[in-house]
Amino acid sequence: MSIRLLALIPVAAAISLALSAVVDAVALPLFLDTTGTILATALAGPRVGIATGVVTSAVNTLRNPTFWPFVVVQIIVALYAWVAARAGLFRSFRTAVPAGLGLGVIASVTSTPISYLVFGCTTTGGIALTTALGKALGLPPLGACFFGSFVSDFGDKAVTFALVTSVLHALPRRTAARFPWALRAIGAA
Amino acid sequence: MTGGRLHPFTLLAIAGALPALAWILPAPRGGAATAAVALVLTLTPGASPGLTGTGVSPGWRPGLVVLRTAVLTAAPFWLFLLLLHDVPTTIAIGLRITTMVASFVWLVAALQPARLVEAMVAAGWSASVAYLLAATLSAVPVLKARARRIVDAQRCRGLSPRGGIAARLRALRALALPLVLSALHEVDERALALETRGLVPGIRRTPLAPPPDPAVEQAARWALLLACLFALFRRFL
Repeated sequence: MSIRLLALIPVAAAISLALSAVVDAVALPLFLDTTGTILATALAGPRVGIATGVVTSAVNTLRNPTFWPFVVVQIIVALYAWVAARAGLFRSFRTAVPAGLGLGVIASVTSTPISYLVFGCTTTGGIALTTALGKALGLPPLGACFFGSFVSDFGDKAVTFALVTSVLHALPRRTAARFPWALRAIGAA
Repeated sequence: MTGGRLHPFTLLAIAGALPALAWILPAPRGGAATAAVALVLTLTPGASPGLTGTGVSPGWRPGLVVLRTAVLTAAPFWLFLLLLHDVPTTIAIGLRITTMVASFVWLVAALQPARLVEAMVAAGWSASVAYLLAATLSAVPVLKARARRIVDAQRCRGLSPRGGIAARLRALRALALPLVLSALHEVDERALALETRGLVPGIRRTPLAPPPDPAVEQAARWALLLACLFALFRRFL
């Protein structure tokens, strides 16, 4: 791995964690905590993306220990983003947003067993409340847990993919060309 | 021996073994025992308020700040568990989560990142791995402060982060894009700084002051691993 790609990993992980300040400002029910993982993968491939996801989870764990079991989700996100980048799905919002919605489904399916078995579906207040809503609607426990994860992940991942698409298109071509996957991800190579 | 004087790998082993045992041992007694041990650990002298960002608050003796952080972090989970489950399930899962939270809060308070980096380098880990953790920890507060400045600057230019969802999403883009782009432009500077300091991937570096790793602690780490494997074996076979 080159020094530039090594330097990208902590920057991308810090982006994931610092975006919470922006989310707080607009008061939207989003996490955007996989932005750095998706961006690093789209710029530099799966190894850098997976490393970014693991580092993001490790550092987030120091703030809240319940994040660590979800490191698997970060790895799945990186692999999915790699497939999306190879297919050039970051070339426009029309391709990126549906891809993000697809990731939302996959992320919920991945996180539901962890949330159910380890935390009893109580990872965050929002997820606990939507899970309670799912139970009130008559869903079985695992189904209610998936409902809670799905509601929180579905929109979040679509917005994250759209944001990464905006960033990739806003990058100057000379800067983008320094990263091995950037131009291919936006369909320019 | 206090948490602050233990080898970083021993701290990690304890913080990893306690939650593992909490999930492996039969509930609720197993979880109660591990939670009690983890909560007692937060009272050890080596656990001083560190990365948890708790600081010292009035009404709490400094020695209890780590315990308070653990209790306050675990408390919402009990509330949500009661909302979703019956009392026996709440107690079983709540004790496990409390063990996990208290162990990690203690770890963060007792573990000095610089000692961990030295220990990793001394153990033959790549300096790149140590750099990744240390650089991310230092970059997060810098980027968060920059995010707040961007929010203030955009508000001065008339950006309103309120209104309908579409307006908020537009505001999100206007706030997030400058933050992410400015961070990406730093990558080249960081790469140059790393090259200047000779941090080439794959090169083994010499630690300046590696923390002592007595044979007793090494044996204790193996014992913790064996205890977890034994408990797992007894539980499922």
